[in-house]
Amino acid sequence: MPASATANRPEELVERLGVGGAAAEGEALLKALREVKNQIIGNKTKKLLYLHLGAVPRIVSVLASAEGGGDAALIVQAAAAIGSFACGVEDGVRAVLDADAVPQLTRILSYPDEKVVDAGARSLRMIFQSKLTPKYDVLQEKNMKFLLSLLYRENENVTELAASIIAHSCERHEEQKALCDAGVLQRLVKLLGGPLNQRDACLESIEAIVRNNSEVAQKFACIDNGKALSSLIELIQDRYPRTRLLACICLIAIRHASPCYVQEMQIKTKLILILIELLEEPGKAGDEAPFALTNLIMDEEELHKQAISINAVEKLCNFFYKGPIEARRLQGILLALAELCSKLEKCRSQLISLQVLNFIVDALKHDCTDVRTAACSCIRNISRSLKNLSAGHLSSETVVVPLVQLLHDESSSVQVAALGAICNVAVNFATRKSVFIQCGGVSQLVQLAKSMDSTLRLKSVWALRNLMFLADRKDKECVLMELTVSNLASLICDSEHPIQEQALTLVSNLIDGCGDTFEHAFAEDSAIINALTRILHSASSPGVCMQACNQEAESTNTLVQVLHLFAMHSLRDLIRTFYRCIEMLPIKGMFLLANIAAGNEFHKEVVLNCLVPPQPNGNNPSFIIKFLQSKENLLRVASVWCIVNLTYRDGLCSSTRVARLRDAGIISQIKTMVNDPCLDCKLRVRMALEQCMDFENSEHVH
Amino acid sequence: MSLSWIILGQLDSIEAMVISLPSFLYWFTTQLDDQRFWRSNESTSKKVITRDEWERKLKDVKIRKEDMNKLVMNFLVTEGFVEAAEKFRIESGTEPGIDLGTITDRMAVKKAVQFGNVKDAIEKVNDLNPMILYANPQLHFHLQQQRLIELIRIGKVEEALEFAQEELAPRGKENQSFLEELERTVALLAFEDVKNCPYGELLDVSQRLKTASEVNAAILANQSHEKGLGRNQQSQFFMAE
Repeated sequence: MPASATANRPEELVERLGVGGAAAEGEALLKALREVKNQIIGNKTKKLLYLHLGAVPRIVSVLASAEGGGDAALIVQAAAAIGSFACGVEDGVRAVLDADAVPQLTRILSYPDEKVVDAGARSLRMIFQSKLTPKYDVLQEKNMKFLLSLLYRENENVTELAASIIAHSCERHEEQKALCDAGVLQRLVKLLGGPLNQRDACLESIEAIVRNNSEVAQKFACIDNGKALSSLIELIQDRYPRTRLLACICLIAIRHASPCYVQEMQIKTKLILILIELLEEPGKAGDEAPFALTNLIMDEEELHKQAISINAVEKLCNFFYKGPIEARRLQGILLALAELCSKLEKCRSQLISLQVLNFIVDALKHDCTDVRTAACSCIRNISRSLKNLSAGHLSSETVVVPLVQLLHDESSSVQVAALGAICNVAVNFATRKSVFIQCGGVSQLVQLAKSMDSTLRLKSVWALRNLMFLADRKDKECVLMELTVSNLASLICDSEHPIQEQALTLVSNLIDGCGDTFEHAFAEDSAIINALTRILHSASSPGVCMQACNQEAESTNTLVQVLHLFAMHSLRDLIRTFYRCIEMLPIKGMFLLANIAAGNEFHKEVVLNCLVPPQPNGNNPSFIIKFLQSKENLLRVASVWCIVNLTYRDGLCSSTRVARLRDAGIISQIKTMVNDPCLDCKLRVRMALEQCMDFENSEHVH
Repeated sequence: MSLSWIILGQLDSIEAMVISLPSFLYWFTTQLDDQRFWRSNESTSKKVITRDEWERKLKDVKIRKEDMNKLVMNFLVTEGFVEAAEKFRIESGTEPGIDLGTITDRMAVKKAVQFGNVKDAIEKVNDLNPMILYANPQLHFHLQQQRLIELIRIGKVEEALEFAQEELAPRGKENQSFLEELERTVALLAFEDVKNCPYGELLDVSQRLKTASEVNAAILANQSHEKGLGRNQQSQFFMAE
């Protein structure tokens, strides 16, 4: 635009806009509006310029003043200009909303002139595409009525607008139900037969209505005896890529909401194929395809296998070789690869063999937060492969250093994702942990282990635990010095149960094979032992287990099974730690066990598993038998107390416990102590045997 | 095929090649390599047909009159021959599938570009539907580029630079390929003998025609996507340039 024409300087143009006062009228106003509109279309700088000159409220006033009639040409230009301001510029959307343009634009939708209606509908659509625009409350009756009236109009721009409003505003269950009950789904399905833009808008709104709502999804699937669902299935093979994508997304949403639909392997395979083909499309359809693919196959091993069998991994990896990838698409590809690697070893080896690891590592340094997070997830899942870990693919400096860098990242989601990756990468069987320790990884982990954020705490302790697995003494000392025993103790007593577990295992791993190093730490500063006692006594957080027990406690057997299961998996580490403590400080340890065994069913079960591991290690007798034979009075007393508490007849599981003790030869050992020289011991032995006798008697009575 | 001869008589003569349908098919054939005819993306085996065999098959093909008529109507609509389309509709009973009134608007835009009045063309496009340029950033850029070319052509160097800076530079920042095209266009200013410089073809009429064609296609596409116009006419009959 040549700047020489002074009549068209922005400030002067804006002066001419508006109603009354210095504003122009008629033809001159029309020219001014048109000129502004043409200048701002596609030009962000000009939009901002005119925004700052206050053009928007003036233009809206032109619309407002044209009540019932008025010059159609003026209205069209004003509406178009407003729509353009709202297009792709956040400040523009705000200005338009603040100037109260929406009701004005809505009003002109009922004008007889088709061009006016088109202009209004297009502009409203622009406005409703922005996240800043407030949702349209469909739960209000008059709003719903209005929306329905728009849906049943002949004008395709108007119906498209209605569909966009629904897609923008429909989130909660009540809203979805209300729209479904009003028959909106049927109408949208009908409109699928219309022109492209309308069809795409309808697909988006159908997805918004059925998303995560099994009742509504079912209702949709039943429309026209399943014909609606068939139309969707047809549309996944439409000639337009965006339509194919949206139709896929719709079907995936229906499947997730109500799994009995879209469940045949045939249709699922087709969806995978089509989404993988869509990857090749330039533009938004191709960008969003990997996200839809990830969503489709999430957590389903069968589908992972299907995807791999049609070369999904190669096709995704090909993109790395085609040159720089735009951020959104890169995030999608990384997430899809991460999902594929989450369960199947085949995929992980394929990735390594395709030599794309360096691209993924590069993505760790990407500008975009989402890309960095996705790259971390990818690495975390690739490193679920023991083979890869032991081959050392992931423990070299090139991988470890950028990961450690991300622990300092400004975004906590990136930090969490990086921790996840480090957790796995830190478990390597080659003793190259020094790389990690050298690049300052430990201090950062220790820092994060003190974080307020429980997720960060959990993952950093987990990472430390893995790092200490089979580590050498020097590294363990280094870590313990950095972490300090008191921090470790407070982690064991953390308010979150999962963190306690990880801390206990960390202790276990630290002690493992290095008993004498830590005897010092544990004996003098009994912080660890006290911490262990404390958590067990305050154990409402094994409440997870108790809850499960309560739910399952129909029969004794189930309860015991559940306890065993729990003991096997999460308390295994706890128990191992006990062993260590007991080895180093037998008397103290046994009293500890005895005290714990005085607790509830759960506590007893834990102690029992200590004495008699569910999977016996060969023919080794339980250590308690040795203790019972010890010359130390106190040790014998403590051990018998333990048995007394375990055989105490209070609950459902007592008989099973007695049986296990008997099978392990512990009861026989106790029987030999009936005349123990220590009085205290003798009394406890008698008490224990009495309790066992009760069981023997009751066993014969059935 | 006599119908097609009547039409030809009423067509304006324009730069584009105007040929009758049977001869079009002949032309199409002559473009083909004698040896490799069937092309398929997926299949590994290629069927080989000779020219003679092909022409024999061609003669044997029975094309329905209705289909031919539709093809003709599509051509007339796409290329914008309103009167011819109207007459053809009356004579053959073939429905144009779109409101013939929209053709005039579209042709006005195309003509404006062909004559180098790009600002006018842009304003007309925005009057038709502001969404057209929004949905086609590449088209928008090419139109702006054409404006720049026109300014350079009439020697308004200062204005051209200002325009390039204000309107085109920001777009070049967003997109690498835009930047490259922009650089090529601005480079015209560096040469004394513009017409014969390496980028001289930008000043050629053919560049205008290219842009005009792009605009034409975008408007058509937008109209069919928005209003379902010409939904029955799935294929667009693009003439060779």
